[in-house]
Formats: sequence, C-alpha cells, structure tokens
Amino acid sequence: MPPLSSERAARRVLWREAVVRDVVVETPRARTLALDVPDWPGHRAGQHLDVRLTAEDGYQAERSYSIASAPELDRVELTIELVDDGEVSPYFVEVVEPGDVFEVRGPVGGHFTWSADSGPEPLLLIAGGSGLVPLMAMVRHRAARASTVPTTLLVSARSPEDLLYADELVDAPALSIARTYTRTQPPGWTGFARRVNHDMLRAVAPAPDSGARVFVCGPTPFVELVTGLLVDLGFPPRTIHAERFGPTGGTS
Amino acid sequence: MSDDADHQDGNALAGLLSGVFAADITTVVRRCAFCGDASPLGAHRLYRAAGLVLRCPSCSDVALRAVERDGSVSVTWAGVFEVPTPTASA
Repeated sequence: MPPLSSERAARRVLWREAVVRDVVVETPRARTLALDVPDWPGHRAGQHLDVRLTAEDGYQAERSYSIASAPELDRVELTIELVDDGEVSPYFVEVVEPGDVFEVRGPVGGHFTWSADSGPEPLLLIAGGSGLVPLMAMVRHRAARASTVPTTLLVSARSPEDLLYADELVDAPALSIARTYTRTQPPGWTGFARRVNHDMLRAVAPAPDSGARVFVCGPTPFVELVTGLLVDLGFPPRTIHAERFGPTGGTS
Repeated sequence: MSDDADHQDGNALAGLLSGVFAADITTVVRRCAFCGDASPLGAHRLYRAAGLVLRCPSCSDVALRAVERDGSVSVTWAGVFEVPTPTASA
C-alpha cells in the first residue's frame, strides 16, 4: 500500500471546523446536530465522520459518528445518543448549542454505503437502537432520489420512547418498515415484541436468493446475532454489510 | 470466528488511516496470508488494544496494527492488499 505524498496526505486528512446550526431533540437520550461544514466534499449514505473535541487545557477526544442526513441535504446531520458513563456523548446530548464549533474529519468509509445508483437489487436494512442512524441516511437518500428499489427496514428499539425518527418511519411505495419493541410496547401493540429472530426475518425480509443488499448496524451483540440469523436463512455472507458500534451501543 | 462483544468493524479505522493511504481502506480487499480468505477491510474485525488491531473475519489472523502516538501513526500489516490504482480525480 503506497503511502501518500505529504502534499496529498495534507489534502485528505483534513480536520475541518464544523459549526452547529441547529439541535433537535429526537428522544430523551438522543439529539440531532445539524452542522455547517465549509468545503464539505459531500458524502455517501452510510458513511461516518470523526469528531474531535479539544478542551481548554489542550486535552483532545475523538469519536466516530454516523451521518444521518441524505447526501442531497445542504447540511450534515449527526444523531448522537447518550452513552452511560461516556466522556463525549454527554456534551453532544446535554450541552451543545447552536453556534458551538468543533472539528470533524470525513466523510470516511466506503464499505458500508449504499447509493440509488448501486443497482436494482432490493435493500434490506436492519437497525438495533441508534444503529438506525446510517440506515436512515440510506432511506432519506432513497427518497431524495425517488428510487423505487424495494426496501425493507427493520428497527429494533427497547421502547417507543427510544425509537429515533419515529414520525419519519412510515411506509411508502416499495418501502416497508417493521418495528420490534424488545422491552416496552405501546398500549394495544400487536406487532413484534421480541429480539430479532428467524421467524421475524422470514416474515419481513426479501428472499435470501433475491440478490438483496443487506446492511446491519447496531451494538456488536445485536449485529453478531442478526448477521448469524441472516446466514442461517441463506443470505450470502458477501451481501451482508455490518457496522458494529462496540459493546455499549455507542462509542461514548 | 470469535464472538466476543467488544469488537467493531474495519469501517471504524477509516478516519485514522485516511491520513496514511490514498485509497479508502474500508473497500480495499485483503487476502489473508493464513487462511486465504479475501474480504474488504471494512468487513474485518477491529479490536482496541494497545493500539488498533484489525483481524481477518474468517480466521482472526492479525491483518493490521495501527498505533497513534505523538502526532504520527505506526502501521504494520500482513497479507496481500488489493489497492485500486489512484486516478487523477481521486
């Protein structure tokens, strides 16, 4: 792997200043930050960026966060969920205000991405908790491009209060959205109320031999479970793209 | 291979290594020198130990180690990495 010339490297490893334009409360534990990033090069749905915070004493902390917004939007949105005992997420969820400035590097990661130009194969998106964030970028991109790719989104959340983007999760032509609430269900709920299992996937997913592109995102135990179930059902491992957040469901 | 709960994917290395390689490393395919499996680095498993350790998803062989220190990144890697040739627009 040839290293870059220093001049070219300097262009690529750009930390840019991002200005918080807007903060939206998504759930009691999650906020969406809309950022203005001058000279943002654009991103693909599913990519993430690295954020660097610098304290007054020079101490720096870096974290990776998935991009929630469609590439077509004129700003970059991150949805950040509070991680218990986290060092960085409390700032973003409880403190940050419009006008705040921090550094971002990205977008990065081309493996976990989908484009409306990727082809006509069906799309199967499976999210655990805040693993919905990069998958929502794909759903939003799909809508922005008026794509008719048959798409299924399965979201696993602990309770309705924990569900991100609840108002936006509505069926549309060729878009089917299924939810499962693993701990607390709304009154009168008749839908799924358990962890993802074989029967649930059989009920909602396209056929394993449909050529579907599959994206799974969430805490590592969730992704391990779901990718194992998908392989059991006959989905070719090469078609399954996974993004694991680690044990806690976030990177603190 | 391993089923421990604390690993991530090679995707999470992309930012750090964007300063090292011209290619987006998550789509670079690595053929494992140990088991022969060919997988994109984004589908490898990432462990945070003394530095970052990327392992083959098939056999857990160490594919890459990256240690960030004093403003530089030390990288060691094993296996064959298929890196797309940069184009003028890259």
